[in-house]
Amino acid sequence: MFSHRWLPLLLVAPLMLLVVLFFYIPVFQAFYWSFFLEQPFGGGSQFVGLENFKRVLSDPEFWMAGWRTIVFMLTASLLAVVVPLMLAIAADRRIALSFPARNILVWPKGVAGASIGVVFAFLFNPFVGLMAPFNTLFPGAWNPGIDGTDAFITLVAAHVWSGIPFNFVILLAGLRSIPHTLTQAAAIDGAGPWRRIFDVQLPLIMPQLFLTFVLEFTESITSVFALIDTITKGGPGGSTTLLVYKIYVDGFSGFDLSGASTQTAILMVFVLLLAACQFFYLGRRINYER
Amino acid sequence: MKNLTLAAVAALAFGAGSAQATDIEFWYGNTGPVETAIKAQCDAFNAAQSAHHINCVGQGSYEVSMQKAIAAYRAKNHPVLIQFFDAGTLDLMLSDAVEPVQDLMPDVKWDSYIAGARAYYETSKGKLFAQPYNSSTLLFYTNKTELEKAGIMQTPTTWEEVIDAARTLKAAGHACPFVTDGDTWRILEQFSARHGLPIATKHNGYDGLDAEYVINTTFAAKHLANLVEWRNEGLVRLAADTKAGNYTAAFNAGECAMMEQSSGSYAAAAKAFDGKYELTVTMAPMYKGYERHNTFVGGASIYVMKGHDKAEIEAAKAFLDFLRKPEQQMFFTANTGYVPVTTDVLDAIAESDEADSPKYATAKVGVESMNQPATPDTRGIRLGFYVQFREVFMEETQKAFAGQQTMQVALDNTKKRGDQLLRRFEQTYKGKQLP
Repeated sequence: MFSHRWLPLLLVAPLMLLVVLFFYIPVFQAFYWSFFLEQPFGGGSQFVGLENFKRVLSDPEFWMAGWRTIVFMLTASLLAVVVPLMLAIAADRRIALSFPARNILVWPKGVAGASIGVVFAFLFNPFVGLMAPFNTLFPGAWNPGIDGTDAFITLVAAHVWSGIPFNFVILLAGLRSIPHTLTQAAAIDGAGPWRRIFDVQLPLIMPQLFLTFVLEFTESITSVFALIDTITKGGPGGSTTLLVYKIYVDGFSGFDLSGASTQTAILMVFVLLLAACQFFYLGRRINYER
Repeated sequence: MKNLTLAAVAALAFGAGSAQATDIEFWYGNTGPVETAIKAQCDAFNAAQSAHHINCVGQGSYEVSMQKAIAAYRAKNHPVLIQFFDAGTLDLMLSDAVEPVQDLMPDVKWDSYIAGARAYYETSKGKLFAQPYNSSTLLFYTNKTELEKAGIMQTPTTWEEVIDAARTLKAAGHACPFVTDGDTWRILEQFSARHGLPIATKHNGYDGLDAEYVINTTFAAKHLANLVEWRNEGLVRLAADTKAGNYTAAFNAGECAMMEQSSGSYAAAAKAFDGKYELTVTMAPMYKGYERHNTFVGGASIYVMKGHDKAEIEAAKAFLDFLRKPEQQMFFTANTGYVPVTTDVLDAIAESDEADSPKYATAKVGVESMNQPATPDTRGIRLGFYVQFREVFMEETQKAFAGQQTMQVALDNTKKRGDQLLRRFEQTYKGKQLP
């Protein structure tokens, strides 16, 4: 196909160079530093073996942040798939306004995470936001600046909203590709709309659902950073300090390069294992044939 | 032909740089009115002489500036001059990346810096590491108009009076008598300093890297527990309790009547109050029965980084000399509310016709506050991973304010986690001597 055997390599070289420069080298560096105690200005570093890992793994704060990460991953990604799924099913059913909705629901994709954070911090402000009327009825009932649970809910809401467009597009595409004849046949056999959703549509969009779940699970762990940084800064009282934010604060505000690297290494292994599990256990059960 | 053009362009480009002036960079972290003042000083320096040219680069915040400096230093691409904030002092002293200003410029009269400002940036043996630049300290801001409306004619000077005033304001229907953001610098560090309380053993780390935190056993613990009670009583509000969502904004808008804040906020507060309220700025309140000691210098200082050639160092020295000039310090004070910290400048202000002008209001009271009697525990803070400690303190005390744990438990946890940070720092810099 190619006239020269080096040409294909040459063509991918720029991309490979970028990936190596901005992914593999930093990853290698993080793993390397996790075995050292590293001075910020590079004055000297000493090899400490697994000492950093021992310390991090015995630190209750690390486990708390890890636990929050898992809670966020489960709640936020589940909602971030289920909500777009409902919207996609509705938009697919040609109900009123479904055509403009298919367009408008994609718009949030164009908004950067940090901007979403700023908007949601305002929307959920206890004095001027959406919850302000609720607060006048029950004073002090909603305040993400004081109450950790409220802050967590704000984060989840912002994440789900920002996840709508992509998952919506994927799921809607899946639904649109189901042959009409199948739905019609089910309808003739007397299956109502709910029955058709559970027995015809959902089984047939399993590959799309799987894809969105895999991406959401891994994405929610890292992409939440921009939201935390703009909405809660990890507070109040550390209640929204997820691992990815803890790593940032330790490494970049606290200049603790070794501690941050060690946590990065652990987090990366966790994400890889998670994706692997999904592929091996869930992925095999999905039938890609139609 | 093509080569000739290239050569000509190159000659022009290089010629412009080397023949006339040495270009150096200065990184700073401030924004807003302070950044405007810094830029004005850079422009004035460049206009005043032609041997050197300084390029002042704003990094957006102290933290970002330090992050970039670390990355740049590792890449050997760092600026000659850089502004660092108070909490990074120990990291820099041990970094081997900076040249102490007193070594570089032994002839400067460093003694003219007031003791309160020197102590924070000098080694245990008294050598000044950095040139104090935007110096601030904690002051007590009150909205005189609101206080008088509630019948309080005297500005409170003790915590007992502050709380009495807060009760009066609350009884008069005021929703936010006293506001704080619970920041470590304000409610722990400056409180401990002016009450003469240690934050850690070894005189806050000045005598060795093996210090341990003592904040859970000093009178500061009692004060912090009081803050929680006062908040439950509705006398003290946290930033998140205010409509503004930010305590300085809440005070400046008139929503809250009293706050403890850096002198660096004076310009913004005075501007916001103009024509609406009367602003009073005094030294931060004391508890009855405690002798007043100096408050710490806050803000930031300028360091000279190693690894530059002679011409660049000369340019850096010239800029530092320029910044020390009385008229430059007076300009900076008048435009920002930061405090001049050399005696000659204070004298110059006192002798000028504008000695009582509001633009120098913070200078007088700020210096007075930093010039109170010192103890070995009020020199400064020389503790490792201190930025992380500040985060830990905020996290634990926020839980106490939210009622999830008592303040004593919060401080015990803070001490425990803080000591772990200190031990790791000690290990990271194993074999290094505290200068």
